[in-house]
Amino acid sequence: MALAGTDPIEELYARGVTDGLPVVPPTRERVARAVEATGRAAAELIAEVPPNYGRATVEKIAINAVMAGCRPDYLPVVIAAVEAVCDDAFDLHGVSATTNAPAPLIVVNGPIRHRLDINCGAGLFGPGWRANATIGRALRLVCVNVGGARPGVVSMSTFAHPGRYTYCIGEREEASPWDSLAVEHGFAAGDDTVALLAADAPITVYDQRSRTAPDLCATLAATLAVIEHHKMTHWGDTLLVLSPEHAAIVAGDGWGKADVRRFLFERLHRPVHELVPGVNGGDGLPEHVLRKFADPAHDATPIPKFRKPEHLKIVVAGGSAGRFSAVVPGWTFSKGSNLVLRRIR
Amino acid sequence: MTEYLDPTDSVAVPRKTAPRPASLDGKVVTLLDISKAKGDHLLDRVEELLRERAGVKTIVRKKKPTFARPAPDPLRQEIVGATDVLVEGLAD
Repeated sequence: MALAGTDPIEELYARGVTDGLPVVPPTRERVARAVEATGRAAAELIAEVPPNYGRATVEKIAINAVMAGCRPDYLPVVIAAVEAVCDDAFDLHGVSATTNAPAPLIVVNGPIRHRLDINCGAGLFGPGWRANATIGRALRLVCVNVGGARPGVVSMSTFAHPGRYTYCIGEREEASPWDSLAVEHGFAAGDDTVALLAADAPITVYDQRSRTAPDLCATLAATLAVIEHHKMTHWGDTLLVLSPEHAAIVAGDGWGKADVRRFLFERLHRPVHELVPGVNGGDGLPEHVLRKFADPAHDATPIPKFRKPEHLKIVVAGGSAGRFSAVVPGWTFSKGSNLVLRRIR
Repeated sequence: MTEYLDPTDSVAVPRKTAPRPASLDGKVVTLLDISKAKGDHLLDRVEELLRERAGVKTIVRKKKPTFARPAPDPLRQEIVGATDVLVEGLAD
């Protein structure tokens, strides 16, 4: 597109290719530098992006990454993120089109966090770091400009959330007493990876006084219990971000991630009679589940909030000071989206 | 003159809907339940009304496995080849 004789920023707004913030004009030179940094051919097809299945070539991704403000060396992370969201397991079609509010959250593992200065510490969900801000933004621009997920046209989210501008964090592996998210999923500690979760906004959980793993995990369970809807059951991948101080409390009791998951999974069951529609709200167990019980209103069969303990994904991140954790709910009901990891190449 | 590269892909534009038939007389109508809560209730009523008021030839009922994903290809092909009109039950 030629934008001669005009203000390029205004022209790009007029073409409807921004996220509402000004974008860096994608000149041939800037895009060429970004493509070069990938070591790949400009025309290489990385993925077809749902829901409209536009072709995300290396060049198309580079154009959107330039517009988002990425440095050329961020491109491999953006490409890996595009690959991950276009994996069928992620269900980007649903994520981009639903009336619910998910945004793809990128969690980066590996040494690349240091090379690119991806924030894993204080304020990691917030502003101030170019890599976090622009890598997440580049993925959003690809979803809209290549995938067609225009808000109010194809993307029909009732609310969306601020993570749809950008949503990218690193795991603070150095402050974690445990294996990283990537290592838990079969990668080596030296591998650079992205993990993509169709995610709601983070919910901060305050707990200044717990000093034992069971006490702290009971607090976390109470927040996890109400995600999506307090009577939602059989939920899938959901991220738990423990601050270094909270992680130290849990690990200090000798608990690993598997212990946390088991505790939370077991605690997060409720009897059928508390989950029927009309008890504490009109929503509740769907009809096909209710039909399995002769008298749901009086049935005490425990129903799990999460389908399996393994759906509770745990990372350590955030500032050194502060007894907080964050719950990042996934948009992950049965047959819906799943966490997808990809190596950064 | 500075040239800027196009961040969009030509297929990633809103699609046009198919032309609407003037009448349902003698038409095969498929009612697609996307598996949203109570979508089947809505389509049951649509089916009743169609039988009462429109001279449709046949009403076919189909169901997507989940509302969260596109209809699987085989289901789409079944519908495309065998129906004149498709009504999809979005129940949000």
